[in-house]
Amino acid sequence: MTSPRAHAFETSHPAVPAAYLGGTVLIAMFALQPVLIALSLAGALAASLAFRGVRATLRGLRWQLPAVGVICLVNPLFSASGSTELWHLGPMAIYLESLAFGACMGAMLVAVVLWLECASRVLTQDRVLELGARALPTVTLMTSMTAQLVPQLVRRGQAVRSTYAACTAASGTRDARHAQVRMSDVLVAWAMEDSLERADAMRARGWGSTEARTTYRSVEFRGRDAAMLSCVVVFLLANAFLAYVACSQWRFYPTMPQLVVWWGYVPYAVQVLLPAALELMGRSRWR
Amino acid sequence: METDAPALAMRDLSFSYAVAEGVPANAPVLDHASLEVPRGAFALLTGDTGSGKTTLLRLAKPEVAPAGELGGSVEVLGKDVRSLEPAESAQLVGYVLQCPDNQIVCDTVWHEMAFGLENVGLPQAEMRRRVAETCYFFGMESWLHRSFAELSGGQRQMLALASTLAMRPGLLLLDEPTSMLDPVAAKAFLSLLFRANRELGVTVVVATHSPWTMGEYATCALRVEGRRVEEVSLEGLSREPELGRLRPRCRPMGSREAIGIADAWFRYDRDADWVLRGCDLTVAEGEVRALIGGNGSGKSTLLALAAGTSRPQRGRARSALSCRQAFLPQSPKTLLARQSVADELMEWSRTAGYGRADADAMMAHMGLAGLAERHPYDLSGGQQQLLALAKLLLTRPRLLLLDEPTKGLDLELRREVVRVVNECRDDGVTVVVASHDVAFLEEVAAQTSLLFDGGVTLTGKTGEFFRESWVWGRS
Repeated sequence: MTSPRAHAFETSHPAVPAAYLGGTVLIAMFALQPVLIALSLAGALAASLAFRGVRATLRGLRWQLPAVGVICLVNPLFSASGSTELWHLGPMAIYLESLAFGACMGAMLVAVVLWLECASRVLTQDRVLELGARALPTVTLMTSMTAQLVPQLVRRGQAVRSTYAACTAASGTRDARHAQVRMSDVLVAWAMEDSLERADAMRARGWGSTEARTTYRSVEFRGRDAAMLSCVVVFLLANAFLAYVACSQWRFYPTMPQLVVWWGYVPYAVQVLLPAALELMGRSRWR
Repeated sequence: METDAPALAMRDLSFSYAVAEGVPANAPVLDHASLEVPRGAFALLTGDTGSGKTTLLRLAKPEVAPAGELGGSVEVLGKDVRSLEPAESAQLVGYVLQCPDNQIVCDTVWHEMAFGLENVGLPQAEMRRRVAETCYFFGMESWLHRSFAELSGGQRQMLALASTLAMRPGLLLLDEPTSMLDPVAAKAFLSLLFRANRELGVTVVVATHSPWTMGEYATCALRVEGRRVEEVSLEGLSREPELGRLRPRCRPMGSREAIGIADAWFRYDRDADWVLRGCDLTVAEGEVRALIGGNGSGKSTLLALAAGTSRPQRGRARSALSCRQAFLPQSPKTLLARQSVADELMEWSRTAGYGRADADAMMAHMGLAGLAERHPYDLSGGQQQLLALAKLLLTRPRLLLLDEPTKGLDLELRREVVRVVNECRDDGVTVVVASHDVAFLEEVAAQTSLLFDGGVTLTGKTGEFFRESWVWGRS
């Protein structure tokens, strides 16, 4: 099945979405303040709906929402602090502050997971590799090989298992642990044998023949990308500062202060809703 | 560079493999062998398995040359290959191996094309030019950004060829490049190789055990025999030799049904396309049935349903022999789990109830005698196939499911598989075999079923089926 194409950041160098998503995830992880978390969650949900579609998002929420509930409920049991007592559970008191902290942590976790899932849709593997190609050519090559070899190993594992299952004339007691050990024996021997041939193929094409290995770039970093990247960085820094201000005026324990309307939330809202907006704009152009 | 020097010249070449100290030296693989391949030639290198074809090819490419004692000279385009700088050698001589999967290094097509160019440190502009030109020449633009996993076997081998040619070698060496491909993909590959030879002027040397598939492209042929190399005529190589005499199929088929697959629908994922769409297949007990069809027509899937390792999402698949079956997958390595041939054959002795004497007898019967202590991976691909088959036969199956049993085998080993399958038939074993090898199927199968469009389109008597076929018929 082919996944829907991500339009946002499609025409820019991968450094731009990488900086944007990296910064957004970082702020989302450290800004423990209800309004910022709510905004981040809303933005992440919108981006997820736009990039991954309704079905994939709902499928994810099936475990994410219970996780929020569990964290929200478990937190008061472990940190019984706060001042507004809600109930007594035997010898333990459940405080409103503690419950709110749990809910915020849960929501933050879900938002970060959603952001990372969106990132994997926008930053496909070959675009990530492009980023590291010049700085870390060997690491990039290894990642590329791993990306190819791991699925191959999984496919072979399935083949070994089903072949073994198909040979019923050889069957006796089918010990699951024995079958696992046998499978890993087969796979290791097979992979080692292949690696010799692969090494030959690499040397045949000049691997290690010169110190001055070059790197093929399939996309260029243009002036426009530089401009966009600096905009993103400035925006991120500004929002990080605003988030710091908001967080420093906020505490969960012992009592939570009153939330107020503040202009400083607006730039952050713009930032987190940007990918979904870009995606919708990209699509509406083709309607 | 001398302008009139041959593309490849080997003079008085002797070679024996290196051995550990204190061990008596190996017998030489090559002994004062000489050969000359003119520029622009398309040369076939033939010879029996183990005659030294691969060794000979590898000696012309120092990076992949085996360790051992070498005498004589190897010159490529007038240059001694042993005096070349590594980067120069990588660019002057290209080498394509047999297995497409093992020579692809990177995950995406464009990265793979650039891999060799990066290795020798070409500047950006030159790399772009080479990648673009190679893609254009092979018509690969549309799959430039695909990942390795999305490519078919034929496309993978084509990619291996393209990324080697992007280095612009003067001489291209290929070791059994089409033996792992189905006939259609093999023809597509060979026609590209031919174009590279004629239009780009690349000298080609192909080691092959099926020279008749390349007869129309070749300009000369060499044969490795008795540690020497001699030139042979192309005429003698242009016809496919007979696999054997067509034996009368005297054994009457049983009337009982061994496999009954009815209205089977199957796909690998909820959102994937159906591989089988209302497929029916009935095989009688004691019958040898061939399955033929293009790549992705569902042959392997149908075998999996017959084996019961996959279940149809709709319809039914029944097997009367499901408790006494054996399955030979495409790659014999899937079945090899032990450190020696003898251990391998004994793996199932306890559960299937046979002893050492049976295993020894089987080894002799399959022509594996004398290999008992060898590691299965030290055998040739063909011998591994026979070993896997021997291992299955020791369990005395009543239903044998074979997926491409002759893939990559030379003539002798194919004959061996024919003999084994026919013996199974004489013992009343039911056999279902999926294969592209028409000559092999004609020797073993009573009936042939054609898979197309998610089902069995046609079933007929094998001889008649191929005689009346337009595309599979042999002259």
